[in-house]
Amino acid sequence: MASVLQKLITPLFSGTLEPPRNKVTVVGVGQVGMACAVSILLRELADELALVDVVEDKLKGEMMDLQHGSLFLKTPKIVSGKDYSVTANSRVVVVTAGVRQQEGESRLNLVQRNANIFKHIIPQIVRYSPNCILIVVSNPVDILTYVTWKLSGLPKHRVIGSGTNLDSARFRYLMAERVGIHPSSFNGWILGEHGDSSVPVWSGANVAGVNLQKLNPDIGTDTDKENWKETHKKVVDSAYEVIRLKGYTNWAIGLSVADLTESLMKNLSRVHPVSTMVKGMYGIGDEVYLSLPCVLNSAGVGSVVNMTLTADEISQLKKSADMLWHIQKDLKDLER
Amino acid sequence: MASTKEKLITHVSKEEPAGPTNKVTVVGVGMVGMAAAISILLKDLTDELALVDVMEDKLKGEAMDLQHGSLFLKTHKIVADKDYSVTANSKVVVVTAGARQQEGESRLNLVQRNVNIFKFIIPNIIKYSPNCILLVVSNPVDILTYVAWKLSGLPRNRVIGSGTNLDSARFRHLMGEKLGIHPSNCHGWVIGEHGDSSVPVWSGVNVAGVFLQGLNPDMGTDKDKEDWKSVHKMVVDSAYEVIKLKGYTSWAIGMSAADLCQSILKNLRKCHPVSTLVKGMHGVNEEVFLSVPCILGNSGLTDVVHMTLKSDEEKQLVKSAETLWGVQKDLTL
Repeated sequence: MASVLQKLITPLFSGTLEPPRNKVTVVGVGQVGMACAVSILLRELADELALVDVVEDKLKGEMMDLQHGSLFLKTPKIVSGKDYSVTANSRVVVVTAGVRQQEGESRLNLVQRNANIFKHIIPQIVRYSPNCILIVVSNPVDILTYVTWKLSGLPKHRVIGSGTNLDSARFRYLMAERVGIHPSSFNGWILGEHGDSSVPVWSGANVAGVNLQKLNPDIGTDTDKENWKETHKKVVDSAYEVIRLKGYTNWAIGLSVADLTESLMKNLSRVHPVSTMVKGMYGIGDEVYLSLPCVLNSAGVGSVVNMTLTADEISQLKKSADMLWHIQKDLKDLER
Repeated sequence: MASTKEKLITHVSKEEPAGPTNKVTVVGVGMVGMAAAISILLKDLTDELALVDVMEDKLKGEAMDLQHGSLFLKTHKIVADKDYSVTANSKVVVVTAGARQQEGESRLNLVQRNVNIFKFIIPNIIKYSPNCILLVVSNPVDILTYVAWKLSGLPRNRVIGSGTNLDSARFRHLMGEKLGIHPSNCHGWVIGEHGDSSVPVWSGVNVAGVFLQGLNPDMGTDKDKEDWKSVHKMVVDSAYEVIKLKGYTSWAIGMSAADLCQSILKNLRKCHPVSTLVKGMHGVNEEVFLSVPCILGNSGLTDVVHMTLKSDEEKQLVKSAETLWGVQKDLTL
């Protein structure tokens, strides 16, 4: 007795279905992971989305909630599992998993705890998606991108840290507000270490090619009457402020990760400030990850733009590099 | 001494800056409200988004988090305040405020708690956006849409409940999984009360105009060997299941609310199953709101599609209406 399906549909092709061509995996279904997932779905970047986490109920619930919206989406397959086999054949893997700093905990301790977690995650990802590009979001992002690179055994151009992509987005938003235009029309780069010691490149800040530093040579310094330096300070304080108000940040980082994913998936060769391996640049001799303007395409970091930095900006990068290496050198068990 | 901004930019327009043309307000910045907000933003539906809530820190934090993503969005103005003046001149106001279902709690249980909250919210919305269209999402949605309609004084075309839009989306997803087809081509309408007593209209279920009940006359009954009835049961159980697993539901309802906003703001005149005043239809005599297929455009809910229902389907609608009226008549509005 033929079923409804059999009466309704005559199959023309009965071989195995092709593997997905634009699969994205998000590791970690906390607030950041889910914001990344929703942004990627609503931007229609993937033909398959996989979610992984250790908390099984939450994971299944989040997957179901997204699947129930499938009528409104163009991502026909949304899967999840504790087992990494669901992530197979991913082009891009977004890593948001990890623990947060406890009160009074040292950064080295936090990093070692997260490195131990990544030791379980990263080899599994690479096992099932040996050709993927990894985007690390978990903090401290520059160190954890280094850890990920070491644990993955992947070439350096395929491991990216979300880095100062968000800092730069916040900077462009705040600067654009002061001038009264859309953030995309305000060009400005924040590079280096994601967080308190990020470096705003004032010499590059421009609107329609008009260099703001030429209009105001004091811009970014303490002598500046208009106190533009305050805007960079607000960027650094942003995360703490949002965390203080709502407990965490997620929407902005989610949107920024989707933006990176778009460049990678669509081979756009757009330039983004993301964390990449900078040994050999700007006098840096250690294997550290810091944010520089990177050209992102389907291979990962295709190339890096050589920013013209002042001596002071270069010394800030070098100082960050030294500090990161100081922490990284004591990390245990990173070799594959 | 000219400032950097003055040296950079010269203002040349003599006009006052124009106000927003398709402003959306979301009331309530909980999980549902924010899911609706991010869906609306990512679909580029509005030129101004306003958020309102009573929890001021949370509200400010959510607004800042969205603003920090402005580079990636096409909604230039995102504002938030406890004071409803920020909502002025909204075209659509999405109401998600109120208490939510606890694990195992039915939607009807929430009623009086949420009615009291609406008594504060609705008049404030109307004060600042007297010509808006209200989209009520808070549960129990059919009752609260009635409450919003009464409290607002708006004509019935401007007060819409998200209703069974989500139930139908879930049904179509499950149907799509069963048939191996994208949900947008799996047509199935779940109408009536959003929740446990929703009505799947089996006679309308079709793919490309092929009616599935014609292929399987037992569809929807207990005799059906393929147990299509369980598809509807899964829809009813969905919310409870997701709540049990992750604590609440957000993404699907957020996306469905954005879908409704799109039809309204772009004047699409698409047909959606949403909650409207059904007195006089399908044998319903009470002033209640239930979901039926409705045409949505920039004047709101302008037309209702009259479904050909079986007598037992109509009986279910009448029974829901009686249950809802039983609760509504005791409310102090």
